[in-house]
Amino acid sequence: MKLTIDPVTRIEGHLKVNVEIKNSKIVSAKCSADMYRGLEKALKGYDYLTAIQITQRTCGCCPYAHAEAAALAIEDALQIELNKNAKLLRNMVIGAYKLKDYLLHFYTLSSLDFININSILEYNGNDIKMLEFKKYVLKEISSKKVFPSPLFTQKYKNVYIENSKFNLTLIKHYLENFEAMKKAAEMVKIFGAKAPHMTTIEAGGITTKPTADRLIKYINLAKDLKEFIYNKYFEDVLRVAKYFKEYFKIGKGVNNFLTFNTLQNLDGSYMFVAGFSKDFRFEEGVEPYEIVEYSNYAYYKENGGYKPLELDDLHPVDLEEFENSEKYTWSRAPRYKGHVVEVGPAAIVINTYLSGKNHKLNKIVNKINSELDISIKDYNSVMGRHLSRAIVSMMIIDKLIEDALNVDEGVLGFTQLKHPPSNVKGVGLTEATRGALAHFIDIGENGYIRNYEMVVPTTWNISPKDNRDIPGALESMLIGTHIKDENNPIEISRIIRSTDPCLACAVH
Amino acid sequence: MDRREFLKTTQALLATIFGSSFFSIEELDAMETSENKPDLIWIHAMSCDGCSTSFLNAEIPLVDILSRFVNIVFHPTVMAAEGRLSMEILKKYEDTQNDLILIVEGAIPSKELPHACMMGEEFIRDTIVNTARKASLAIAAGTCASFLGICDMKGMHIDAVSLKKCLEEESVDTPVVNLPACPLKPNHLLYTLFYYIKNRKTPPVDLMHRPLRFFGNTVHERCVYYNDFQEKIFAKRIGDRGCLFKLGCQGPVTKCDCIKSGNDYDKYNCIKSGHPCIGCASENFPRNILFKRADDERKLEKYKDFKRI
Repeated sequence: MKLTIDPVTRIEGHLKVNVEIKNSKIVSAKCSADMYRGLEKALKGYDYLTAIQITQRTCGCCPYAHAEAAALAIEDALQIELNKNAKLLRNMVIGAYKLKDYLLHFYTLSSLDFININSILEYNGNDIKMLEFKKYVLKEISSKKVFPSPLFTQKYKNVYIENSKFNLTLIKHYLENFEAMKKAAEMVKIFGAKAPHMTTIEAGGITTKPTADRLIKYINLAKDLKEFIYNKYFEDVLRVAKYFKEYFKIGKGVNNFLTFNTLQNLDGSYMFVAGFSKDFRFEEGVEPYEIVEYSNYAYYKENGGYKPLELDDLHPVDLEEFENSEKYTWSRAPRYKGHVVEVGPAAIVINTYLSGKNHKLNKIVNKINSELDISIKDYNSVMGRHLSRAIVSMMIIDKLIEDALNVDEGVLGFTQLKHPPSNVKGVGLTEATRGALAHFIDIGENGYIRNYEMVVPTTWNISPKDNRDIPGALESMLIGTHIKDENNPIEISRIIRSTDPCLACAVH
Repeated sequence: MDRREFLKTTQALLATIFGSSFFSIEELDAMETSENKPDLIWIHAMSCDGCSTSFLNAEIPLVDILSRFVNIVFHPTVMAAEGRLSMEILKKYEDTQNDLILIVEGAIPSKELPHACMMGEEFIRDTIVNTARKASLAIAAGTCASFLGICDMKGMHIDAVSLKKCLEEESVDTPVVNLPACPLKPNHLLYTLFYYIKNRKTPPVDLMHRPLRFFGNTVHERCVYYNDFQEKIFAKRIGDRGCLFKLGCQGPVTKCDCIKSGNDYDKYNCIKSGHPCIGCASENFPRNILFKRADDERKLEKYKDFKRI
């Protein structure tokens, strides 16, 4: 049986997934990214600083990461040192944004794959929000409207949580999460000006002066958010993980994980560690020019495998070739030293855990593992990915509060601009919400960009087959999956969403 | 918050956006219980989802408000439905007579390269045109849908078009309202929707189809540093006192209400946060230089030719 899910909703962007099921098992899978703009090569001829503003517009969900990666690439090229406040404030902007994304992902995007919305009809309490929501759902499903709201029209049968009390808790937190996300968004805006697409992240730091009133507002919001993350988000994920324990064995992909550094500490070390692990053997450090992107199956005229900055243009195929070739996606297929890799929060937790450098993380992971009777290897799974986001979130919110308290009030966290540079190259590596992100900049004469390359987390995850026909990370997760009920293949949706695909980023 | 209180909050909010008590509580009450609420379809073309995110982020209870005053029929980021089920909604819609508002986020692929954006195995361009034919109002949310923004840069191969241009090419005469700003400002959307719900017509717009209410002045004209500009006090470095013009500020060539609005959403706008305006709501966004040293002599150039807007 062949099955197509298009569009995959509740993700970021346009994704199509084709699978073939034989004897209740997925035997082949194809992920197609359905949108192309061609941003990176269009940067040619623009001023080097525009890269920060323009690349973040690749994505409205994780713009901060592109802004940061572009700024890091420029700082690398120009040898700019950040001062203390610059490091702290940048962490505070991007960290808050990460949290917002993790919350958005679990509640707004993923939880509807677990919650049975109809449980709301059994609600008898007196929480006004819940009552309003009950009224809304009741009205939508009972009305004779041609188009009842699709927001809560669930597709699959008999796959959701059966315990109605549990459902109601999750629904309550689903609604409360909107408030929590707004808090995180406000934290971003305090030093970022806007969210999404904050303007203040620049090469050299953050242009916003950390005044006392901004800092106080930030810290107050962060404390509220911590409450939500620790007591609701993390607890909910843990409970869902216990309920769907079989999902620690579903959606297992390749055992190769790649991570970059993110969230710098004042002593120059990083909170999460950069490196590559294969079969749970970890090697610290990465070599960005060991990345090769293949495009045999991507809709470009260039078919080969190319290292970063090797191509200075990329041409889309015309309509005829689009319809008649073997190519099936706009996303290229990146490989690290020839390996298919998975990136993202699970990779962060696995690599950092294996490195043993962050004791706090290892302590949390060990505690959870003994509570759930799982091992670090089980993090390579649907539930492992959800759990990793929650673990990472708890650690980030603690760090943000600590960093905010360390800021020297009134001191600008920004190193002033140098004169426009000529003929320099730089690399910016960081972790976005969805995983390892690399920007490469080649600045030509007088500050204008000569070439630009972005290797983006979702490109790693939803990668098509490479030129040796080896499927990408998400494709490997799907292949081999047992489908319980072919009429209700919710396993597929859950696997896809566990990687939090972001398609606008993947293709850019 | 009970219903009465909710209506009051909504009224107060709308009053700040409209600048007067545009709606009475009774009117809002009637609108909420009305059977003739317009339907809303939100489609992502070549977008980054930033406008949707901005709309979900807003400090105001936007989703609550919208789910009560319009019927949200399709929104890819929040709906539970997926795959064929979601496409059927759009298909079925082609045969109804409901009052429909279409919101498009992102630029639209050209006729030559329609495969640059697909949804449900169809060209998004076709989906948008077919839906727009049924709609009585089409809203271009954000800079990409209005003026192409980052989807139209010098070296690009896609030749994307704006919503307005796309509908012109396909001879669809649904009125279009452009709401540039990257990302979209939720207040602008709310204003346009409520104006339409009350009057069943588009709000007053300028020649570029932007609501006059927000796009009548440049950022510069209402800037907190306008006096400094007149006194010729210019910031030479980030953090200095004074007008940011010499650092590349594009406030003088960008029409938007970021500074004057006073809404929660604009509380920490770019200029107040110490960064010059990058002109994200401008028809010429992005220019070749967005931020520079005060002594940088390179010329700021614009590239857009307006043929595809």
